[in-house]
Amino acid sequence: MADITEQEIRVFVDAVNRYFEQITGEKARIRGSFLAEGETQLPIYDFTGLISLSGQYRGCIYFSATRILLMRLLLAMQEPRQTDAHMLDAVGEIANTLAGNAREYFGETMDISVPTTFHGFSDLLKSAVRKRPYVIMIKWKQYEAAVIVDVVRK
Amino acid sequence: MKLLIVDDSSIIRSRIARIMSDPRLPSLMIVGMAKNGAEAMELFSQTQPDLVTMDLTMPEMDGVECTESLSKLNGDVGILVVSALSDKATAIKALKKGAKGFLYKPFTDEQLVNALLEMMS
Repeated sequence: MADITEQEIRVFVDAVNRYFEQITGEKARIRGSFLAEGETQLPIYDFTGLISLSGQYRGCIYFSATRILLMRLLLAMQEPRQTDAHMLDAVGEIANTLAGNAREYFGETMDISVPTTFHGFSDLLKSAVRKRPYVIMIKWKQYEAAVIVDVVRK
Repeated sequence: MKLLIVDDSSIIRSRIARIMSDPRLPSLMIVGMAKNGAEAMELFSQTQPDLVTMDLTMPEMDGVECTESLSKLNGDVGILVVSALSDKATAIKALKKGAKGFLYKPFTDEQLVNALLEMMS
């Protein structure tokens, strides 16, 4: 099995940029992307959407964001409902969109699951994410989010 | 014309419904919203829509399977796939199963309006 390359992480960075620009008209700023090694604490914000990968790839992709970012994002989409259920729906939809868009590069052999969503930390993340995922730190307006990419080719 | 919206995200269903108030789409009436393929099948039989917006990645029955089933029930129905799955093979597969158009997520209001206008023409 082979990890995807640092250059291939660009696919996800581009997907993040496209998402925020298309939906809100305002680009997100990538604060940094890095390979998390050793005991690096992975970023988890208020709400997280997790996509599992199968087919010719394995691993997962998750999107995690603060409540305030999601509130602003829902407003940008003219969605007035701001319950926890809508926050979970939003992170699930974003994770699904980022993973789905990545198939333009990785192809149909990257099977993606329906999103699993949760509020706060979940033990699911411990089992889903391996030891060396890529972390993409995002800032949209002044609000924070992150995308974690843990993908290997079979 | 009657429209059925199929997407597992309630935010996306609401957004598509809101975009339907665009003055360029006055002849479209939403007759149902489904959160998976199985629900879409049921609503399709009840409401007989002319147009369907169809997500692909959904629980229970995915959008490709649902597109195929709906097309078998009514070959004239206009199914616009609205999905994040951006590889060409998936688009081709959906078109072969009966979809008439494909719009990638994330989409702008304008892109959805244009895609629907094209389907209606």
